[in-house]
Amino acid sequence: MSFEPITGRYLTVTVQGRRQRIFVEMAGEGTPVLCLHTAGADTRQWRHILNDAGLTKDHRFYAFDMPWHGKSLPPEGFQTEEYLLTTEAYIETVLAVSRALGLDRPILAGCSMGGRIALQLAALHGEAFSGFIAIEASDFQPAWYDIDWFHRPDAHGGEMGAALVSANISTHAPEAERWNTLWMFMQSGPGVFRGDLSFYTRDDSLIGRLARIETARTPVHILVGAYDLTCTPEDARRTAAAIPGATCTVMEELGHFPMSEHPAAFRPFFADALARMKVPADV
Amino acid sequence: MRATLDRMQSRLNASSYLLRLGRLFSETVLLEVDGAEYYLTFRDGRLEQIAEGPSRKTPWRFALRTDGEALAQFWQPLPKPGFHDIFGLVKIGRGRIDGDILCLVKNLRFFKDFMALARPELKTEKLA
Repeated sequence: MSFEPITGRYLTVTVQGRRQRIFVEMAGEGTPVLCLHTAGADTRQWRHILNDAGLTKDHRFYAFDMPWHGKSLPPEGFQTEEYLLTTEAYIETVLAVSRALGLDRPILAGCSMGGRIALQLAALHGEAFSGFIAIEASDFQPAWYDIDWFHRPDAHGGEMGAALVSANISTHAPEAERWNTLWMFMQSGPGVFRGDLSFYTRDDSLIGRLARIETARTPVHILVGAYDLTCTPEDARRTAAAIPGATCTVMEELGHFPMSEHPAAFRPFFADALARMKVPADV
Repeated sequence: MRATLDRMQSRLNASSYLLRLGRLFSETVLLEVDGAEYYLTFRDGRLEQIAEGPSRKTPWRFALRTDGEALAQFWQPLPKPGFHDIFGLVKIGRGRIDGDILCLVKNLRFFKDFMALARPELKTEKLA
């Protein structure tokens, strides 16, 4: 028997006065990197990075399931609530998990809504991190779809969500990883994708905050896949242009879930992004 | 176009995977290509009839309107960004989807896989 190097543990944090039991996966030694999954999915999206010996030899990666996602349960009383993620709750959750893990200014790497909140944290709590890798991340896009499609009693929200987001996966993605990526959406709890999309498609507060980000202290690198219809290269470039000093790379053969849908093609871009997070000591 | 649709019909009706996916789908879909109308009538996932328009009398549940050049790109083995998905065609201004969109979304995996049946390297065939 041979276990993968990833280990999983649970911790409990308090966010907005409520206890949240959080599942965290970890691997590697060295510079801490906190990884955030996309809407409607979970930490498994990062499995290839956490299993990459070339990256884990000098980085310690932490990926956690947001409350309501993956192996993190919803909070007590969830059964009568409408799940709607907010910028404030999301920020507090990331900061609380980072503190609970005892991380000292980790690099923050987030994809999609995780990339959006990474940029919010860069603007509002830059001091708590050493750099930001914002993947498929942009200032704001309103939904071209109706988020209510994904939570209704007469259809399976997860299957519909997966079919919709498949539009964002590159045609170059290996078949097995395309379907592993979609499976997570199919498994998403009722109303969770919708509640994430509420944050992602309705809160445009980041737009006015981008100029505050101090990239001299905390670098920002944006990665975007050419096949991403949700956060297009144009969206990512516009966002990078609004952050003084931010950089942006377009990944030609990737889509909205690069670390999960096509790990081999994503790896060099992510390794390059990690290298860009090193800041000279005198800054 | 008609020959391609006929081929897609044969492939669909021979795919146990797609027939299982579409077993609750019994609707007429309008596919409009360069203004030419094709009314695709599905029953329990099978494509029973392809009727060519124009027709003002044929009711349809939802419609996908695009152009032949865009569809040709969509049917490449590795389509370029935007041409890789029906919503991509809409996003890049080469397609329009009308009608009961919720019906489409409820059956989206089935309909997308049906539309991809004219791609030479058919991914779903492996699962059929």
